[in-house]
Amino acid sequence: MRATRIVADVSPLPRTVFGHRSMMWWGTLGFIVIEGTTLFICVVSYFYLRRNFATWPPEHVFRPALVIPTIQAGLMLLSNIPMRWADRASSRMDIRGVRSGFAICTVLAVIMTVLRWFEFQSLNVRWDSNAYGSAAWATLTAHGTLLLLELAETAAFTVLLFKGPIEERDLAGASDNALYWYFMTGVWIPLYVAVFLSPRFM
Amino acid sequence: VSAVPRVETDEAPDEESVRRQLEETWHQPPGLLPWLKSVDHKSIGKRYIVTAVVFFILGGLEAGMMRAQLARPENHLLGPDAYNQFFTVHGMTMMFLFAVPVMTAVGLYLVPLMIGARNVAFPRLNAYGYWVYLAGGLFLYISFFLNTGPDTGWFSYVPLAGPEFSPGKRVDVYAQAITFTEIAALAAAVELIVTIFKNRAPGMTLNRMPLFVWAMLVQAFMVLFAMPWVATVTQLLAMDRLVATHFFNPAEGGDALLWQHLFWFFGHPEVYIILVPALGFVSMIVATFTRRPVFGYPAMVLSIVSIGFISFGLWVHHMFATGVPQLGQSFFTGASMMIAIPSGIQIFCWIATIWAGRPRFSVPFLFVLGFVVLFVIGGVTGVMVASVAFDQQVHDTYFVVAHFHYVLVGGAVFPLMGAFYYWFPKITGRMLSERLGRWNFWLLFIGVNLTFFPMHQLGLEGMPRRVYTYLPGTGWGSLNLLATIGAVTIVLGVLLFVINVAVSLRRGALAGDNPWDADTLEWATTSPPPAYNFIHIPVVEGRAPLWEQSGELPVVTGLRTDVRDVLITTLLDARPDSKHRHPTPSIWPLLAAIATTILFVTLIFTPWGAVIGTPLLLLALLGWGWPHGREKWEQQMVEQEA
Repeated sequence: MRATRIVADVSPLPRTVFGHRSMMWWGTLGFIVIEGTTLFICVVSYFYLRRNFATWPPEHVFRPALVIPTIQAGLMLLSNIPMRWADRASSRMDIRGVRSGFAICTVLAVIMTVLRWFEFQSLNVRWDSNAYGSAAWATLTAHGTLLLLELAETAAFTVLLFKGPIEERDLAGASDNALYWYFMTGVWIPLYVAVFLSPRFM
Repeated sequence: VSAVPRVETDEAPDEESVRRQLEETWHQPPGLLPWLKSVDHKSIGKRYIVTAVVFFILGGLEAGMMRAQLARPENHLLGPDAYNQFFTVHGMTMMFLFAVPVMTAVGLYLVPLMIGARNVAFPRLNAYGYWVYLAGGLFLYISFFLNTGPDTGWFSYVPLAGPEFSPGKRVDVYAQAITFTEIAALAAAVELIVTIFKNRAPGMTLNRMPLFVWAMLVQAFMVLFAMPWVATVTQLLAMDRLVATHFFNPAEGGDALLWQHLFWFFGHPEVYIILVPALGFVSMIVATFTRRPVFGYPAMVLSIVSIGFISFGLWVHHMFATGVPQLGQSFFTGASMMIAIPSGIQIFCWIATIWAGRPRFSVPFLFVLGFVVLFVIGGVTGVMVASVAFDQQVHDTYFVVAHFHYVLVGGAVFPLMGAFYYWFPKITGRMLSERLGRWNFWLLFIGVNLTFFPMHQLGLEGMPRRVYTYLPGTGWGSLNLLATIGAVTIVLGVLLFVINVAVSLRRGALAGDNPWDADTLEWATTSPPPAYNFIHIPVVEGRAPLWEQSGELPVVTGLRTDVRDVLITTLLDARPDSKHRHPTPSIWPLLAAIATTILFVTLIFTPWGAVIGTPLLLLALLGWGWPHGREKWEQQMVEQEA
């Protein structure tokens, strides 16, 4: 091993950093890219298959119902308020704010998961009826796995936050969880437009 | 280095006591359980490399069987059914179990050392990735030995692979084995990107990164954007087969060409995912063995990056025979020819480097020269098949087989062999034999040309791929025999390599820290490197740190040694930014991989597999992420037990 000469001391550097200064933030971003690509492929397939049909939805298939999916889309958007609140609280090390934000979001994620079940019914088509149904179901399922994963992670964080012990870096972790939440809920809006609204004007 | 805050230090810490404490904190105790729990990038990198090489040998044996079958017309060594499985499993093995994983594995081993880090960014994810990869490989081979090996080719076109024409489970094995390997590749890509972005030694700005690290960064980004396509499309196929969706069933509005588009949108970048790290090997070897930095660093980096981008615009050239609109054909022909430009720039930069340097013709350098010859041949036939008119003549013939073997064997296996000879001393502490290495090189070089060059002619004569035999009247017998003799030569070459490794591991000359007098940081530490890689994190002041800093190596101090403490730097300039507590060894990544395996394998048989496997996987992920052992870090507690 080479002889060395010390030129700097890094001991004063902080241990807890947020956003792009944190490794976990970049890791989360990496998984967002992967999952975003997966959802993009579902939508690409959906519109590619559109070309094989004279009408969309195909003949003898009802258009998707809109009530529950629209409630879901609204809920997804609104859920960003408590998550953003928790996110900001985490950077202030305000543990009570993070706790309540995460508790609210866990409840919201449970509601969204239940609504997802009814969204499948709202499609008015089975996955094995035709390619249209297959593509719509696949899109909802692919996003559903992200929803399930985020429910599990948010719930686990909530338990940790209430049970303790809590370190500073857990709050940075909570902030990274918020980043994933913004993605998971935000990406649903174009998917909702594709699967539920586009059959009305295509 | 202006990028590094200089702080006065009172006294230099006692080197030996620092070393002892680091050893205690980072070392992996002997025994099976610590091995299973290991999160050390070197330990995982080594097992990744060994596993990939074992799969390479298995894939090679399958190729040997195919060559034996084709050695003469109307041979009956392998029947058509077995032959179908052999060429499919050969292709899958070489692409999914060898080429991508081995490049990733070498990257996972070397990148942290080259950038002066203690480990990869997410070491448990690294362990998980390896276990999932291993499970996928075992799954494919167990199925193969049970006569359920995939038999529809490595790109498994529908409708052949659909439920109507491929009943049974063979294609499901194909789809799921790919899912395993893609998850492993994606995990590695995220790790490599974050490691390269955030764990570089202070002062290693982006424009001082070794070219191999650039190559791995570009490769990881390509994996990130390409692998989800194959992972998703194989799931769509699995669903068509398991729950009767209709993605690829034209009778219900599905589309066979959807498969080809989605597959090749992954499949073409895949070639460059394999090639780009190999270009990185070549740059490192050329610099060391000419003893000068590679000519045109900015041009080299821009070439690698542009290969990354352009490779996503070529996929339709695999589909010229499907009736693509003419404008589309012209676009993809143009793009396919365009990618020769950055590849050519790199070749010229290497030639310029060699030209101005004084090359040492050691074995790694021989493999680089072999690479240049073979890759240029493969590149030229690539430009030929980029032309639609020519492509339609040779589509699905042995000409294409010749082309992509020149590209992949020449472009990836040769640089990889060079890399093995080059970094073996770092990994094991011993040199490989030069004498055996030269024999190894010439046998492989002659063998590859003997095997694959005649295939150009066979293709032009119309011999189709993937047909288990041919009639004597075709006149293809003698060229096929020649190719088979070439294959035997390759087998001898690989055998010699294995012997060289086995002998050198025990009796090879001791390597020392820097046997080649190379310039990058991995050569600044011992061979093999200690568990913590470097006693102090080095500081980098140029592109060739070990050549430019010939005296003492500048380092930083201030990381804790009693716990696993790592330094985080900024993305562009690598300024020290924060410190990070590194994860400890854990059995949970292995358990999560087992849960993943249960999920994927049961899904082949029933959709209820999701109901069984998902909770198991979530449970394993919870165990993985749940914080343990915090008492040592009390100063950062926000709140004790609530």
